[in-house]
Amino acid sequence: MASSGTAVSLSNVRKTYRIGEPVHALDGVSLEVPRGSYTAIMGPSGSGKSTLMNLVGCLDTPTEGTVVVGGRDVGTLSDRERTRLRGTEVGFVFQTFNLMPRLNAVENVALPQLFQSIDRDERRERARNLLERVGLGDRIDHMPNELSGGQRQRVALARALVNDPAIVLADEPSGNLDTDTEADILDLFDEFHEGGTTMLVVTHERHVAERADRIIHLLDGKIERIEELDGAGGSQAGSPAGRESGGGDE
Amino acid sequence: MNPLESLRLAWRSIRGHRLRSALTTLGIVIGIAAVIAFVTLGASLQAGVIGDISPDDQRNVYGWAAEPDSEGGPLAGAQPVFTQDDLEAVEDLEDVEAAYGYATLQTQAISNGEETVAQGSGMIASGPSYIREERITEGRQFEMGAREAVVNPAAANQFEENVSVGDTLTVAMLGGQQTEVEVVGITDNSEGLSPFEGFESSPRIYVPTDPYYTEQASMLGIGAGGGANTGNQSGAGGDAGAGNQSVTGGEARFLAIIVEAESADQADIDAARESTTDYLESDASDASELLGDDLEVQLQTSTELLGQLQDVLNLLQNFIVGIAAISLLVGSIGIANIMLVSVTERTREIGIMKAVGAQNRDVLGLFLTESVILGVIGAILGTGLGLVAGYLGVQYIDLPLVYPLEYVAIAIIVGIVVGILAGLYPAWRAARTDPIDALRYE
Repeated sequence: MASSGTAVSLSNVRKTYRIGEPVHALDGVSLEVPRGSYTAIMGPSGSGKSTLMNLVGCLDTPTEGTVVVGGRDVGTLSDRERTRLRGTEVGFVFQTFNLMPRLNAVENVALPQLFQSIDRDERRERARNLLERVGLGDRIDHMPNELSGGQRQRVALARALVNDPAIVLADEPSGNLDTDTEADILDLFDEFHEGGTTMLVVTHERHVAERADRIIHLLDGKIERIEELDGAGGSQAGSPAGRESGGGDE
Repeated sequence: MNPLESLRLAWRSIRGHRLRSALTTLGIVIGIAAVIAFVTLGASLQAGVIGDISPDDQRNVYGWAAEPDSEGGPLAGAQPVFTQDDLEAVEDLEDVEAAYGYATLQTQAISNGEETVAQGSGMIASGPSYIREERITEGRQFEMGAREAVVNPAAANQFEENVSVGDTLTVAMLGGQQTEVEVVGITDNSEGLSPFEGFESSPRIYVPTDPYYTEQASMLGIGAGGGANTGNQSGAGGDAGAGNQSVTGGEARFLAIIVEAESADQADIDAARESTTDYLESDASDASELLGDDLEVQLQTSTELLGQLQDVLNLLQNFIVGIAAISLLVGSIGIANIMLVSVTERTREIGIMKAVGAQNRDVLGLFLTESVILGVIGAILGTGLGLVAGYLGVQYIDLPLVYPLEYVAIAIIVGIVVGILAGLYPAWRAARTDPIDALRYE
């Protein structure tokens, strides 16, 4: 649903690191992520997943090619503009949750809005709503260390959504969770996706990737193949099988 | 990011490390407390000393003869050169209201009736107007040539039965001879009356130079002669002009003189000083015989003399403030060090903040705010501690309490400056942290 335009597009992106001899972390990747889509990226270690994440997340700039996020070419932006774009158009969900340890749940969720200078009451209100939507309405004042892993990841998801970003980037979002909690989180992803949120999930677990509309397989910095899954938009389709087949670790 | 939000976040992280933050600020607390305490003491000390110059005393010029480069305050290196004739001649000068000698008499003991107390140097010989009328609470000034004395409360109260006006005291001089004084007045307090005495409270008995100084001078052989003087003094009582007769042949020479100008105006003081110096250094004076090439007459007002004292005080105070400044430097290095540790420790948090949209300046502001908070807390606690310490010190030494309030403001500013300087580099490092590396940081 709600797929009007492109959330992120990469065209012929190359990222080269010079550690001794040049290493092409990404070697000519072109990719369109439509708004409202749910994309998974899979690939073994060193295939360029993290680099791709960093580029889409406006944390890094490409050596060659263009990365467009929310309609803006990341490579042409100043550091400040890039940070601002990141703050407003990208929501991050990390494997290790990455909550601020001294802020409680609602403050963590509101943190991105703090840097956009949004009024405190407004921030709290929005954060509270999101926490309710991820099922933590009764835990808004809890500190991260008072929350379980699954709850922390919900907080992180709420934080990712707080600025209403063009895309939510999830890097192994269930990597530190047990199977039941993982299912809960992925169900939440589905729920938000159905609500129109653009999701990009990096994983090396097949059953996680299968929640998406399509899976991009990366290998050695290039797109190996793109796997379109059935029932695009209706993400529940095919997932039970995917989950059972389990660890699709290539 | 709104500065208030920075403050809130920074305060949060300071509270997260209570002990560490407390220890970090301790250096600043000690430094600021030391400065405030010593500056309070210094200001109180100065107020205590300067408060003792009565407005009327300001027209007095205190003189002595010493080698030109003698240092060390009133009477340093002074030689007895001034005769009574000189004083009279000076008093006759146009710009001079009065002139009289000043001397401390060496005593052994003082008796009031049956009771005797030991006292070394509490007897001061000078002219009648040395004791201002308004400082006498009871009785009157002594008269020149009379065996009379004005005592201060400390002297009056040192006997079991307090001395009152009309009593007669027996004084045993250092040489062993006994002399009697009739108490004719009591002063209002026991602090010194001039810079010659010093300003501390102690028992003092003020007597006229004639007969008391002249007697003792001839006894000890000070001055050119005057063995003949001893006889003709005892009966002289009551006549202010008696000085003339008593010092006729033998000249008891004074170590110190006090010259009163017409008024406390600087012009009058300068005029009195100038004509006195001119006279004393001219061949007409007795003093000139002894001045020679080596000695020079120094004539200074209380204020000028206190200025010297103040210079010494200031030097001491600067010295202590300097030490305190080193403590502040050490304290700020402590803050810088802890902030660096904190930046490293919170690399991941910095990464998170940057990932969710924190600008470099937000991160910079956050860490800078934190170190400024540490600095300001240190300054506030230090100021409080310093004021308390200063208060206790002032109470202990018994001085009027004067708080140098401008230093409180300065202390807070110093706290902010120290916080900024100490936090600048750590905050800059935090701001420059690459979010990709920071997020990977374990």
